[in-house]
Amino acid sequence: MRAWWNGLGLRNRVFLAFAGLILAVLLATLGFTQLVVGRDARQTLSRDLRTTGQVFATLLQERATRLQTNASLLASDFALKRVFATHFDRANYDAETLASAGLSYRERSGVQLVWMTDESGTLLAASPANGRLGKSLAGFSPVSQALQSESPAQAVVEIDGALFQMVAVPVYGPDVIGFLVLGQAIDDRVASRLHEDTHSEVTFLTSSRVFASSWPGSRRTDLPSAVTQLSTLLASSAPRDPALLAVGRERFLSLALPIRAQMTEPLYALVQGSYDAALAPLRSLQTRIALIGTVGLAGALLIGILLAGGITGPVRTLVGAMREVLRGNLRHRATIDRSDELGFLARSFNEMVAGLEDRERIKDTFGRFVSRDVAEAVLGGRVPLDGERREVTILFQDIRGFTAMSAKLDPTALLRVLNRFFTEVVAAVEAEGGVVKQFTGDGVMALFGVPQIRADHSARAVSAALGIVERLARLNESLLSEGLAPVKIGIGIDAGEVVAGLIGPDARVEYGVVGEPVNLASRIESLTKDLATTILVSRQIGARLGPEFVLGRSARLPVKGRTQPVEVVEVLARRDRCSTIVPPGG
Amino acid sequence: MRRPLYVYRYKLLQLALLLCVTGVCVGAPSVSGTVTGPDGKAVADAVVFVQAPVPPAAKAPAGQIVDQIDKTFVPGLLPIVVGTSVRFPNHDQIHHHVYSFSPTKTFELPLYKGEEAPAVLFDKVGVVKIGCNIHDWMAGIILVLPTAHFAVTDAAGRFVLEDLAAGTYTLAAWHALSKLKPEDTAQSVEVGRDAANVTFKLPLAAARPRPAMHGSRAEP
Repeated sequence: MRAWWNGLGLRNRVFLAFAGLILAVLLATLGFTQLVVGRDARQTLSRDLRTTGQVFATLLQERATRLQTNASLLASDFALKRVFATHFDRANYDAETLASAGLSYRERSGVQLVWMTDESGTLLAASPANGRLGKSLAGFSPVSQALQSESPAQAVVEIDGALFQMVAVPVYGPDVIGFLVLGQAIDDRVASRLHEDTHSEVTFLTSSRVFASSWPGSRRTDLPSAVTQLSTLLASSAPRDPALLAVGRERFLSLALPIRAQMTEPLYALVQGSYDAALAPLRSLQTRIALIGTVGLAGALLIGILLAGGITGPVRTLVGAMREVLRGNLRHRATIDRSDELGFLARSFNEMVAGLEDRERIKDTFGRFVSRDVAEAVLGGRVPLDGERREVTILFQDIRGFTAMSAKLDPTALLRVLNRFFTEVVAAVEAEGGVVKQFTGDGVMALFGVPQIRADHSARAVSAALGIVERLARLNESLLSEGLAPVKIGIGIDAGEVVAGLIGPDARVEYGVVGEPVNLASRIESLTKDLATTILVSRQIGARLGPEFVLGRSARLPVKGRTQPVEVVEVLARRDRCSTIVPPGG
Repeated sequence: MRRPLYVYRYKLLQLALLLCVTGVCVGAPSVSGTVTGPDGKAVADAVVFVQAPVPPAAKAPAGQIVDQIDKTFVPGLLPIVVGTSVRFPNHDQIHHHVYSFSPTKTFELPLYKGEEAPAVLFDKVGVVKIGCNIHDWMAGIILVLPTAHFAVTDAAGRFVLEDLAAGTYTLAAWHALSKLKPEDTAQSVEVGRDAANVTFKLPLAAARPRPAMHGSRAEP
């Protein structure tokens, strides 16, 4: 089967191969970077999120420790102990002093909440004031744990809709005489600080409400609610692993970290990092790769054109030159000036065509002096230089009354008539595969059976004679119409063994035959005048001819140079072409 | 923690007196017994005292001492009869700041050394918890009782009340970890010619953690 690309030119194929290779490498590179860098970005981001989680846990722990240290220091203040102890004596209980001390400690320790309870957990004072005064906090974390253990306790709790980290420490006097409770808010500032430290967005929330977030206020409203995002995360198959959530048009890798808190609903820190921002370096890398690839592709196009042009240009020139030569223009040369294989090919081609041209010119020139068949036989090396014996038929033709004709016509007109006549003779001889050996002024000698061997050389010679007669009839018609005298001829034919070969000295050799039949054919031709006929053949030829030839009279006549008379037969026509009735010679 | 022997000198003195009373000075009726926890284990450092009848006020009782040695109150528990004056000498090289927020007796002896601090009169029956403002772990109890008839249980939980005239008495027991008020432990006892025997069973709370003690005498 023929592949489709075989139909493409060489140049297109080279370009396609280059372009395909570069495209494949480009796509593979893009795909590979997408895979590797994408995975890497995700891993890095996941690690960042977990780091944020750890930073947050450490932050909470540090805050708790600091809170507890502050609380313990405050609780060991003797003045505070004294104020605390006033509640032992209900009559002299100084609630106001206690409350104002709470305010002072709040400012001193930089916390948002200061509560004081007695040794059973009943709230004695609170700053800022709240509605729980005088009520028991025994069931409220972290007071409940501190009560139970009489040692410091801490918890993350919700107070009036806000998130607080609380610590409760016992006040010793020297036994436990009460508890000091400090609270620090987990608010937007905490989330923002985490965001500044870790570049992750942080939101503190339960599955029903958001307490604090690092998201700017403007974005919080137009994004899907954090609560929805959290429930999506928690509902996923691996809630402990980061997952991609769309936030507006941006994708965020999100992680829900549980926070230990004393609340009715579990508390989470929703930690989020922009996946698209993490992929930005990849996008930039891909853009650059695509740019490099495009330049490469353009380069491939250029190289394809140059390289393929360099190969196909000379090939096309060569192909064009071959076409010219095939058309017969042997003067055409391939003009390729290169020193590589193509240059060698072109030079060889040119030498070959030059050889062909030489040969053709020789053949042409040769053919004008000898017959084309002879020329080809000689050039083809089919003529043995030392001669050979061959069975041939010799035809002699002569114009009757040439002397009278030449006297009547001027030389130019005479030659013109002669040439018109000989053209017809040569055509008739060559039509039968004969060779015009020589022109004898007003006659022609033709050979059949040399240099090419033909078994029916006699029949061909007779057919050629009839052809000459036929063509002469047409020529005479035109000569008559031109007011010129018609040409009359005689033809004698004989066959026999002769010696054929190149005859003559080295400088002027010519192909010819030597033998008795040559002379005899000439003699037979001269007999036509005596018998007043056009074509006479030797008896031996007459016997050889098939029934298609119409023969006329036979005669036995003496000829010059022979002691024995020669038997001749008159040929009148071919039966298949009865129209050719040979007119009587004379 | 091993305490030096002299820490126990008052206990040794009491023991000597007890031996003298029971062994040498035979003849005075007495009440003896034990104090146990709910599981029957002996309870040391419980105070058993005569709650009623309260004897008429006698002459001012002798003064008592709560020493401060190696950043510890010695003794850690001092039962006294109401009206007793207690001195708080400081035998450490450093200052102490003894205080009490107890409604029974609120007082404060700001930073002092040696014998500088004045005596404190305990004129109300009740529990007085004392501490040191600068050493959170230092804690002691002065138990102010209505009567001079009291005894502290030994390591085996045993006590002996001496010198009681024959008659009917109401005895009560107190312990720092007891969940019962002393009046709720009251038991009647007939003191006659024969020695009476009383057992108190006290439900005790678990010991509370205290601020840890730091440093030593060598490293004040």
